[in-house]
Amino acid sequence: MSSFRLFLLGGLTSYRALFSWLSPWILIPTFIVGPIAQILFFAYAGRAAGVGDDAFYVIGNAVQNAAIPCIFAMGITVGDERRQGTLGLLLVSPARRIPLFLGRALPVVVNGLAVALVALGAGSVLLDVPIHASSLLSLTGVVAVSAFACTGLGLANAALSLRVREVAVLSNLVVGVLLVFAGVNVPLSDLPGWMAAVAQWLPLTHGIAAAREVAAGAGLASVRDDVLAEAALGTLYVLVGLILLAWFERESRRRATLDVA
Amino acid sequence: MTVFRVIGVAWWLQLKMRSRSAFDGLLGILYPLFFSTVVFMMFTHGGAQGPALLSAAVGASVMGVWSSTSTTASAALQQERRQGTLELLVAAPTPLPVVILPVTLSMATIGAYSLVVTLLWGRFVFGVDLAVQRPVQFVVAAVVTVVSIGVLGFLLAVSSVRYRTAWALGTALEMPVWLICGFLVPLDLLPAWTRPISWLLAPTWGIDAIRAAAEGRDTLPSLAACLGLAVAYGVIGSLLAVRLVDAARRHATLALT
Amino acid sequence: MRVIDVSDLGRTFRSRSGLRRTEKVVEAVRGISFQVERGELFGLLGPNGAGKTTTIKMLITLLLPTSGRIEVLGHDVVAKPREVRRRVGYVFGGDRGLYERLSGLDNLRYFAELYAVPAREQRARIGELLELVGLTGRERERVEGYSRGMRQRLHIARGLLHRPEVLFLDEPSIGIDPVGARELRQTVKALIEQGTTVLLTTHYMFEADELCDRIAVLAGGRIVAEGTPEQLKQKVSLGSVVEVEVFGLPGGTDERIRALPGVRSLVVEERGPAQVLLVHAEPGSELTQPVLSALDGAQVGRVSTRQPTLEDAYVELVGGA
Repeated sequence: MSSFRLFLLGGLTSYRALFSWLSPWILIPTFIVGPIAQILFFAYAGRAAGVGDDAFYVIGNAVQNAAIPCIFAMGITVGDERRQGTLGLLLVSPARRIPLFLGRALPVVVNGLAVALVALGAGSVLLDVPIHASSLLSLTGVVAVSAFACTGLGLANAALSLRVREVAVLSNLVVGVLLVFAGVNVPLSDLPGWMAAVAQWLPLTHGIAAAREVAAGAGLASVRDDVLAEAALGTLYVLVGLILLAWFERESRRRATLDVA
Repeated sequence: MTVFRVIGVAWWLQLKMRSRSAFDGLLGILYPLFFSTVVFMMFTHGGAQGPALLSAAVGASVMGVWSSTSTTASAALQQERRQGTLELLVAAPTPLPVVILPVTLSMATIGAYSLVVTLLWGRFVFGVDLAVQRPVQFVVAAVVTVVSIGVLGFLLAVSSVRYRTAWALGTALEMPVWLICGFLVPLDLLPAWTRPISWLLAPTWGIDAIRAAAEGRDTLPSLAACLGLAVAYGVIGSLLAVRLVDAARRHATLALT
Repeated sequence: MRVIDVSDLGRTFRSRSGLRRTEKVVEAVRGISFQVERGELFGLLGPNGAGKTTTIKMLITLLLPTSGRIEVLGHDVVAKPREVRRRVGYVFGGDRGLYERLSGLDNLRYFAELYAVPAREQRARIGELLELVGLTGRERERVEGYSRGMRQRLHIARGLLHRPEVLFLDEPSIGIDPVGARELRQTVKALIEQGTTVLLTTHYMFEADELCDRIAVLAGGRIVAEGTPEQLKQKVSLGSVVEVEVFGLPGGTDERIRALPGVRSLVVEERGPAQVLLVHAEPGSELTQPVLSALDGAQVGRVSTRQPTLEDAYVELVGGA
């Protein structure tokens, strides 16, 4: 997962950053090897610590890996708009802003979904964790909603990072927080109360919980509340992101800070 | 003698440069804390106490050393290339290996900060009992481990002189090495075929020496294996560096343009 | 003594691109030869892509030639790269090639170490170079806050740390202001006076004209002309240019002027109420008086004659290649 720390290091945040992901030399290590290694690491750590079972870690870490393209790619997208000087243009046309950003978010959501599904498949084969064929479709749906929610957080993070110098640092902290808080490797019931309370407001928490139930054979209906909560959180973060962007834009027109590259 | 001086000065300047970047400096220390927090929670809820918890804490701390080295070492030369300094380094009469080694040693040094921070985090947040049986040997083993990880990073960095996307390889190695070197998971739990790989990796022996010092066992055999492997990496890396620079001169891959 | 001896030097690049990995072969340098003597300032001119930087990179051991050979200070660059590296300095233009997060002083310390400047001499040497390039007092600031001119001067100090016998300057004045460029030229002149041999590439013709003892013009990977700036100006068959401002050009005048002996070409430009005649003379012809007589009483404004510049020569050389 820290591949992305590097990815953003220095010049790779350039305009071509998104396109350079398409190289297999980058795709395979970051989107396939990295997530699988994370699953194996935590599953074995769980065995060593004597907590959880393999299925718990496979699903938690696979879904959490969807957050990585979502958080980082949104940062790059908004960063690029700013670098090219088109962010201002985007923001002064309020009517078109929402479809525009959502259009940009769609490939990111698909990317996150694909990463999570590949990791899920590989993890279940390597660790012999059975996933019911009947639950595959609903599992895909739950992961897609989680990826959407992460992308929403990614947009909010990207908006915030217009105001901080090191975008990559902020993005990594966000991903780190998700790793610790969202019930990826430590069940919410084992977290201190305040952490569990924070987790309710983060993307992934509800998505991962729903994914675990669905993989264990539960129907979509029984995880409806979690899926709705995840979707609602995603929408909330998208709105927060858009409001922040508009506000920073207004601020920067006053103080001329936006186009400082 | 002058070689050691070059390495020393370059290491110090690299460290200066890195600690000024929020990315390499701050994040290099903070980021491992997310992982160690998860690890501490998993082990405390699994009922680990006393020496077992200390053993996990030691593993989590060394994980940070490898993270800050592996994720940046492979990109280090890309960064030099991007800022146009790689050509200047190659054009200097000092052999390239002597220039690169201190770069990755400085990364491992940042990792050493995180090692200390993680141990303190474990002590004060998770109540890990830092009852180390042989403190002096513990520190020596930790230093040797950090150096050996720096040299392993050097081997990694050298391989990226030519390949522009080698950084991705380096980051993909982060967690596999955590696993295979037995930082957290006893080697017996892993499939048998991984054993020879573990033995060839210096950090495996380094962490074993640190644990031995903590538990009051003899550290010398593991320490010797760790050092021996580090020297071997250094030699292989240097030979590779010379060959790779030759290839870069032939294929014009030093400059980004 | 020959400091640089280049014979039949060639360099091709192969690159693969696109999905089908089609191989592209580019001949950047196609068999060039030149020599530079000790203490000379040799200029390498040419348009972008002419092969200047490729040539310099082969000279300083960063690139291997694909054909031909190079000796620098008597050492073959392929067989003895370290001997060459010890004795040459390399400075390129632009603002890359520095450690942004380190101070100027730390940048110099680092390279002093890499160039094996003895520890006890470092402090004095760095101090004297900071003085030379005018950075004294700013050396403890981080490079990220330096202006372009300051960066360029720091580059030069870096290139001189080990007192190189040969200095390679690859477009050093790119992007610096006129005052900075003038100071740079002063520094280069001072180095030549101290006996350093300099090989310079530049796009600025007046710079080359002012500094260089000899120049080779590269185009398309070949040397199309070589000589002193004066020789180059004479080599291209350019005479002086007469410019005459006329208010109301009488009919038929332009034919009369074209018919004058020694006139190579005539261009008439409309400039507001006036016309300007640009008369290019054959080499050695003096045309001002004949042209004025041919104007036959028309109202004449400003009259001027200028010699062809190195730029005129360069444009003709490169354009013809």
